[in-house]
Amino acid sequence: MTTLAIDVRNVVKRYDEHVAVRDLTLAVPRGAVYGLLGPNGAGKTTTIRMILDIIAPDEGTIRLFGEAHTTERVLDRVGYLPEERGLYKKMQVRRVLRFLAELKGVPGAEAERRIDEWMERLSLKTPEKDWGLAKVDELSRGMQQKVQFIGTLIHDPDLVILDEPFSGLDPVNAQALKDTVVELRRRGKTVIFSTHLMDNAERLCDAVCIIARGEKVLDGLVSDVKRAHGGRHVALGLDGGTSNGVAGVLGDRALVARVDDQNRFLELELAPGASAQALLERLVGAGAQINRFELVQPSLHQIFLQKVGAVGVEAGMSGHG
Amino acid sequence: MGKLWAVTKREYMERVRTKWFIIGTILGPVVFAAMLIGPAYLSLRSRASRDVGRIAILDATGAGLGERVARAVARPAGDTVRATAPASPPAPRVRVVAPAEMARAESVATAEVVRKETRGYLVLTAATLAGDSARYAGRNASSLRDVERLRTVVRQEVLAYRLGAAGLDSARVAQLTGPRLALTAESVTDKGRGGSGTATAIFAGGVAVLLYFTIFLYGQNVLRSVIEEKTTRVAEVVVSSVKPSTLLAGKVIGVGAVGLTQQFVWVLGTVYIGAQMAPILSRMAAESRGAAGLAPGSAVQQAAFAMPSVSAGMIVSLLLFFIFGYAFYSALFAAVGSTVNSETEAQQATAPILVLLIASSIVIQPVMFDSSSQLARTMSLLPFSSPIIMPLRMGMGSVPPWEVALSLGVLVLSCAGGIWVSARIYRTGLLMYGKRPTFGEMARWVGRAG
Repeated sequence: MTTLAIDVRNVVKRYDEHVAVRDLTLAVPRGAVYGLLGPNGAGKTTTIRMILDIIAPDEGTIRLFGEAHTTERVLDRVGYLPEERGLYKKMQVRRVLRFLAELKGVPGAEAERRIDEWMERLSLKTPEKDWGLAKVDELSRGMQQKVQFIGTLIHDPDLVILDEPFSGLDPVNAQALKDTVVELRRRGKTVIFSTHLMDNAERLCDAVCIIARGEKVLDGLVSDVKRAHGGRHVALGLDGGTSNGVAGVLGDRALVARVDDQNRFLELELAPGASAQALLERLVGAGAQINRFELVQPSLHQIFLQKVGAVGVEAGMSGHG
Repeated sequence: MGKLWAVTKREYMERVRTKWFIIGTILGPVVFAAMLIGPAYLSLRSRASRDVGRIAILDATGAGLGERVARAVARPAGDTVRATAPASPPAPRVRVVAPAEMARAESVATAEVVRKETRGYLVLTAATLAGDSARYAGRNASSLRDVERLRTVVRQEVLAYRLGAAGLDSARVAQLTGPRLALTAESVTDKGRGGSGTATAIFAGGVAVLLYFTIFLYGQNVLRSVIEEKTTRVAEVVVSSVKPSTLLAGKVIGVGAVGLTQQFVWVLGTVYIGAQMAPILSRMAAESRGAAGLAPGSAVQQAAFAMPSVSAGMIVSLLLFFIFGYAFYSALFAAVGSTVNSETEAQQATAPILVLLIASSIVIQPVMFDSSSQLARTMSLLPFSSPIIMPLRMGMGSVPPWEVALSLGVLVLSCAGGIWVSARIYRTGLLMYGKRPTFGEMARWVGRAG
């Protein structure tokens, strides 16, 4: 019994014009909330589609719960919410959900019971109105998102894969999604989601993998990643703005690699070899009015920019993340 | 297997539930019955109208031919006068005119027609007696039945007059000119005489047209179903649970089952309505034979009531040709559907398929004229036209069994190949948005493993 929910090894996917994913290796432990981070066009959706056996990798192996990812039995334990969402517009909501449940091998009576449960929980079924009997296109966009959600989870999957789940969600549904992710984790399920919103990832994820241009930039537990990048970041608060002398210090690339103006303070990344002590001395020497000087753990956002900023999004790599 | 069943069931149930399916299924037999019975009814009704009696006859023969014609027009159905016969046409008015005054008499008669006192006038002259010509002018001059009736009557009466003039007594003349010939056509096949030739042709042609429409209609249904899944983006959720080939198979089977259901109801309904209408039609036919004298359509009408012989083997091969023909075309439609982004784009993209399908329907008529021509034999072997043309040929007369077997074999192989290629295009195309792929790109998709 392996402890990995997803085990991706040396996977390569080539298209006619470019390589979408190159030599990617991922290990998602069971029971974790895992974030797949990367700019648009980094290969996130391609990776997810390969995990789900929607497209086949050109090289490498993928195993889910220790079994080949192409086996139906394993895929039935996976729930998937694609980035581009949609349902059969002219179909009755209940019938859509029953169909999606059937595709995952849930027997009819059991599906009916779960549909009721979910519909009530997401207030799509109230004593006054049962939206389950309406056609999909009679529902508001927010309600359709809820239905899509139920469709992803109706078979009580052990592994939930969400591609850009927060895009297009209203704040209420976004909160419901976060609550659901937390609850799934509490019940021992594995959740992997892709996003380019670092705030969400930082709050929800146990572990992350950052990919850019189809390659893994870094991965690991969020706490490990932050610790590895800690001690190099300084939060600097200045009274009375930045004088020319201070600007000269901050512009010294031998001392400061990057400045990110956060309005109330500046987040600085020290240049390789430079020490916080030297920076403080230079700032004081330049006559800065310092009200805050603190070694901080970088945000995922900072790490992301630091790691990906250099490579960035390559021109011509449009399409799916 | 469970997933294939789930996809098939969804396609079937969602279609059968629509009100268009219900309306179409119920109305189908009514329309077919009308198509079967309508022409027969019309041909019964289109015998010479009572208008033939409401004319003037301008007789310049000086031999009393006008009177004879007037009596013949008013005479009901020759030898079998029946009490139930509808009223015969009234006897036309006869004016004996001197040849020199014909021009003036004609202008008077024309004025009467204009004032609607008469429907027309018939001019009989010496040339008529000589067997050369007669003239008719009237509002119903374009009614083929009325003019044909007048022609027949005038010809018969001229013949009778000339026989009388040659010395035959009137009873002998009546006897000789009496027979009314009905020509029935019966088709002969290798198995011997079977059913009426006309009915067989109509039946075979009807089957071919029906096959064409069903393949067309349900192929388009598969196309729309694919486009719907693609444009609503539901396809990605579905293919995360089932293989694209399973989805494609379920779709084709589900939509095809809807087609078979509808046809089953149509056939049963048409047979039922036909059975209900048959007595009415045969009564009408009998009346018409009794009343209309030489009703030119009567032979055809009688034949139409004889059911063409349809063997069990014929039904089985019809079913096979439908199933494989439909599967072949719907797989092609599905492949095209997966490469487009909207129904508008699909109209352009399906043009090559439609050309194949329409080409098959265009040759239905030539094949009906000669079902063993080179064209017919070729088109019944090519897989894109054989599902329509081979059943047509089989309905028209016997086709050597080896030709049927060869045609079906080619179709089955092409069907398997078509589905294989389509499934590969479908698999890739389903998740591709944006620019439509070129043929070269599609060829690469077929070659690629996944």
